[in-house]
Amino acid sequence: MAMPRAGLAAAPAAMPTPAAGMKPRLAPMRVSPDQLIDMKCCIRPLRAAGPNLGTEIVGDRLVVHNYGHGGSGWSLSWGSAEVAVGKALSVLPESIAVVGCGIVGLTSAVVAQRAGLKVTIYARELLPRTRSFRASGSYTPGSRIALVGPAGAQFPELWEQMARFSWKMFRTFLGLPGNPVEFCDSYNVSDKPIERRKWPPNPAIAGSWETAGLPQQNSEFAHLDERIRDIVPQPVDLAPEENPFDTPYAQRSSHMYFNFPAYGHMLLTEFFERGGRYVMRDFHSPAEFAGLPEKVVIHATGYAARDLWQDRTIIPVRGQTGWLVPQPEAHYSLRSNNMSLLSKADGVVVMNNNPDMGDMLGVGDSTELPNRAPIEEALAALAPLFAPLAVRGGRS
Amino acid sequence: MRRGASILAAAALAVIASALSAAPKARGTGAGVYTEAQAGEGARVYAVRCAMCHGPGLAGTVETPGLVGKFMANWAGRPLGDLYDYLGRAMPQPSPGSLTAEDNARLVAFLLKANGVAAGTTALPADSAALRRLVLEPVRPR
Repeated sequence: MAMPRAGLAAAPAAMPTPAAGMKPRLAPMRVSPDQLIDMKCCIRPLRAAGPNLGTEIVGDRLVVHNYGHGGSGWSLSWGSAEVAVGKALSVLPESIAVVGCGIVGLTSAVVAQRAGLKVTIYARELLPRTRSFRASGSYTPGSRIALVGPAGAQFPELWEQMARFSWKMFRTFLGLPGNPVEFCDSYNVSDKPIERRKWPPNPAIAGSWETAGLPQQNSEFAHLDERIRDIVPQPVDLAPEENPFDTPYAQRSSHMYFNFPAYGHMLLTEFFERGGRYVMRDFHSPAEFAGLPEKVVIHATGYAARDLWQDRTIIPVRGQTGWLVPQPEAHYSLRSNNMSLLSKADGVVVMNNNPDMGDMLGVGDSTELPNRAPIEEALAALAPLFAPLAVRGGRS
Repeated sequence: MRRGASILAAAALAVIASALSAAPKARGTGAGVYTEAQAGEGARVYAVRCAMCHGPGLAGTVETPGLVGKFMANWAGRPLGDLYDYLGRAMPQPSPGSLTAEDNARLVAFLLKANGVAAGTTALPADSAALRRLVLEPVRPR
């Protein structure tokens, strides 16, 4: 299968980082509600102890789990697959099954193929008709990845290993046709000084995940991003003469993100070109794994594991995105008060995440229907920020 | 020619088989072939000589091989002497050949433990010939 030419045509020109003291000439985004072409909603499978990468025997099949990545499935996909496939390889199989075909399942399948195994994916749906495709698609490896207590002292090191491995693998896709992985400049603007929000424990909140079955406050979440700040660009304050949005305060960073259509196409193409086989199948109990012809099974059903494997430590965390008409000429992202726009190949992602909720936003909510009102609220709030760009004239 | 080559190959195999049958029977690593204390010493050797490339958790990186998981796929079914000899002549990569025989055996014990092989009451010998009679057996991962 050839890569779509549309993907090639949509690749924006590289944007040079402006020299200090220069306002970059950015094209303003068109953010009126009539530009809204899609809304997506999905559940992040936050697992209290972090992703399940353990093993168990079902019948005489070795099941290697690879599910429960919270809001970090894309970001940790390669590192997590490396761990899971390593466990599968250690019993010397020639072929394996992968159950589930979201980003974690499909990446696991490709990693296994790259290690020389024959792979069959069993899944109800293939990417793009999985929850993974309804994510926002940025490198956010620490997003709702675990709760501090249940995850334990060993988890941060494993997380760091997976995050670093994935980061390096994503770099191998930069510049490929369709730009499956890209960087852009990311602006955060404000009327007030910008500080990283901290979430100390609130002693007035007595309950916790251990007592209530759901986290009760932000301080219960593992916040691990500091461990990889040496490779992930950090925000820098912009002087007024560098700030294209003319707000009193602004920061700029560089942001890695994924273009879903090109990325999904690339991974599926590799899977099938390496001889991968897909069987449409819906599993109703773990016991059915024992009937698969392959002796080793990687289980990567994401949120569905909550029911299929009866893993009640998976906590639904709802999230939603709006999508505006693609605007490749506006190749940057903009955030203000946790409302944001990110210009990707398949559209401009709109998010409106209440800054006072932090990681608690959407916790326990398994509704997967989008709500248009917060998206329109974000569009209305962000639209005035583009006025200075329009006055100066953007890049063409 | 091909038929002749096949006959030669068969004869060579027969010679090898005969030599193997005369040698002491190989044992598997599942029989408890190292001690916990030896693996603990190996962990200290690993931290100083190996961890800077292979990582503190033996996970490796995109560029450096991990020493769990795929590691077992690459070494299982072979004599442990192969691993011992390789470490002795090729590792650590910046100064190959610099491991003492005892530290090498400690490292092999540590790698066995890290890959789920159970310890026993006898330490691994720092002896390539003896280790050639031990076969690395795969272990169900945790």
